[in-house]
Amino acid sequence: MSEGIQYTLDSIAFGSLFAVMAIGLALLFNVMGLMNFAYGELIMAGAYTMYYTRGSGWLGMIAMTVIVVTALSLLMELVAFRPLRNASPITLLVSSFAVSYSLQAVGWMTVGKGPQKGVEPYPWLTRQLDVSGVLVSRLTIITVITTIVLLAAMTLLLKRTTLGIQLRASTEDFRMAQLVGVKANWVISAAFAITGLLGSAVALLYVLRSGSVSPDIGLGPLLVAFVGGVIGGLGSLAGAALGGFVLGAIINALQATLPITLKSHTQLFAFLAVIAILVFQPGGLVALRGGFLRRFSRRRRPADEGVEA
Amino acid sequence: MIGALRSGGPMVRRSWAPAFLCCWLVLTWVLVEAFGDFFYTATAVRMFLLLIVVLGLQIFSGNSGVLSFGHVSFMAIGAYSSALLTIPTEIKDFTFLTMPNILKSWVFPAQLGTLEGTLAGAGFALVFALIVAAPIVRLAGVQAGIGTLAVLVIVQVFIVQTSAITRGTSTMIGVPHTTAFAHVLVWVLIFLVVAFVFQGSRFGLRLRASRENERAARSVGVRVSVERAIAWTLSGFVVGVGGALYGHYYETFGPRDFYFNTNGLDIVLLPIAMLVVGGMTSVTGAVTGCYLVMVVYSAFNRLEVNGLLGAKAPSGTTNLVLAFVLLVTLVLRPRGITGGSEIPWPSEWRLPRRRRPALPSEPRSDPEQRGRPA
Repeated sequence: MSEGIQYTLDSIAFGSLFAVMAIGLALLFNVMGLMNFAYGELIMAGAYTMYYTRGSGWLGMIAMTVIVVTALSLLMELVAFRPLRNASPITLLVSSFAVSYSLQAVGWMTVGKGPQKGVEPYPWLTRQLDVSGVLVSRLTIITVITTIVLLAAMTLLLKRTTLGIQLRASTEDFRMAQLVGVKANWVISAAFAITGLLGSAVALLYVLRSGSVSPDIGLGPLLVAFVGGVIGGLGSLAGAALGGFVLGAIINALQATLPITLKSHTQLFAFLAVIAILVFQPGGLVALRGGFLRRFSRRRRPADEGVEA
Repeated sequence: MIGALRSGGPMVRRSWAPAFLCCWLVLTWVLVEAFGDFFYTATAVRMFLLLIVVLGLQIFSGNSGVLSFGHVSFMAIGAYSSALLTIPTEIKDFTFLTMPNILKSWVFPAQLGTLEGTLAGAGFALVFALIVAAPIVRLAGVQAGIGTLAVLVIVQVFIVQTSAITRGTSTMIGVPHTTAFAHVLVWVLIFLVVAFVFQGSRFGLRLRASRENERAARSVGVRVSVERAIAWTLSGFVVGVGGALYGHYYETFGPRDFYFNTNGLDIVLLPIAMLVVGGMTSVTGAVTGCYLVMVVYSAFNRLEVNGLLGAKAPSGTTNLVLAFVLLVTLVLRPRGITGGSEIPWPSEWRLPRRRRPALPSEPRSDPEQRGRPA
């Protein structure tokens, strides 16, 4: 029983990482039609920043990681995606491959050289607390709290600030938003900065959890967040977050509980389910639901279901 | 006479672009065979194998406008099934000890020749494409991307897990080396013509109409799903042949050859990048993109391996430069080098204009599309 609760809590923590990541992907997708494959490299950058700054105390490490990842995200926009602002989504996608490639190549050439590196988590983070028989590590609690804080902050930002209103307007209709005075550069840079902040949080929590660091660290989480985001509904931030969360949590739960022989076949069936969901609910699972989840999502229009690529 | 040639009859004009590209490919082959060392030959074969994949992708994605990450799975199926049917029986006896009897009874004695093996492999890929076509053709946009990615993952997991048939994560051994450079060339030429014929056929035209405006196409009676399924299946066959040739050229291969590869030539993402950089709506674009990427790749790879004037480039330069070239090309020409059109008739050659007027047919960027009132 207590073991079951432990697994559940752990899966919640793992899933919430992907919820945060999927929000970043969905934000960029809605604002400029970009499926950002280079998002994984933000995590890579964060991981290496952590590796090199771990000695300077946890506060310094967090500050440096946030700064580096956000700066990289903004730089990415400035160099690669700003000149392509009006290009088709497929062109944007391929340019994000290119960005991802180049950052990975830089990673392999500089910090990724030599033996496998790792970030050793602080002992006080992994210590397990005993709550009436259930063992919970502090990292799990911190992950969940961080996610809740980030989601709340995102909600407040989108609802209460001018920037949030501009962002929401741009996700609804980018051209119209520009016509009524929203600055395109400002909104897109802001979206990338938010993505960077979220990415740095994911990097910090993910690396403290897994420990190892390598230039291709980003690909795995990126794919999970992508698939989760799309089945949840990349058209809405809440939908994407929920999709990422559920997929991440399920993957973690299955990996913890299933024997190895079954594990990989489960992946096969999981992806069959993904295809089924896409065919029967192209707008994502959440798109049909009402309530608070939809508050920040775009209005669902039948024409949007198959977003032309 | 000269006037007639200059303007060209309809048949001459129509066959101009495929003829030009065929000559170009044959010229490449001749030059590499005549002057190339081992390195160049290997690179050129690799390029032609990738070109088959890019042509397959062009047949589907280029004409339908739907993105696919899943075509490499056809390659895997082509490679594995062709290998299973051509590996000598005595090798199969000790490499596939646990194969179920139902398969054993006909797979073990099978010893197909080069052509039959390739065709059988491609046939299996075609059947598989036909099966997965049903759900995939109903998707578009990001959903199609994720759906085809799911196909890729499913095939990958199947290959890794079903070690009785595929040897799992171990490599296939004993695959007869029956592919020569010339074979690959012939297949590339065939598929180049196929891609052109398909593009101009009624199926291709209907599919391209649906790419430009799906609702308008539907309203004049185009069954978009059916047209997409036809292109998807055809491209499955094409890429399946590519996979079979791949197997018979490299002799050993494993599941990782047909999946994301983060350190080197990525066979999943690179063909897509080639197609888009060249200009995905034209066959000329497919060829151009493939050449651009492979020339940059091999030049810098060679610089890494052999060095120039005694100085070697640090390893990793290739990918960095390749990514940079891709990015710069896309920034300068967002619709690809060719802009998505075929190579024009010689008398119509002119310098590219700075700004092309936006055609109504141009695939627009997403944010604009979303702005339509429903």
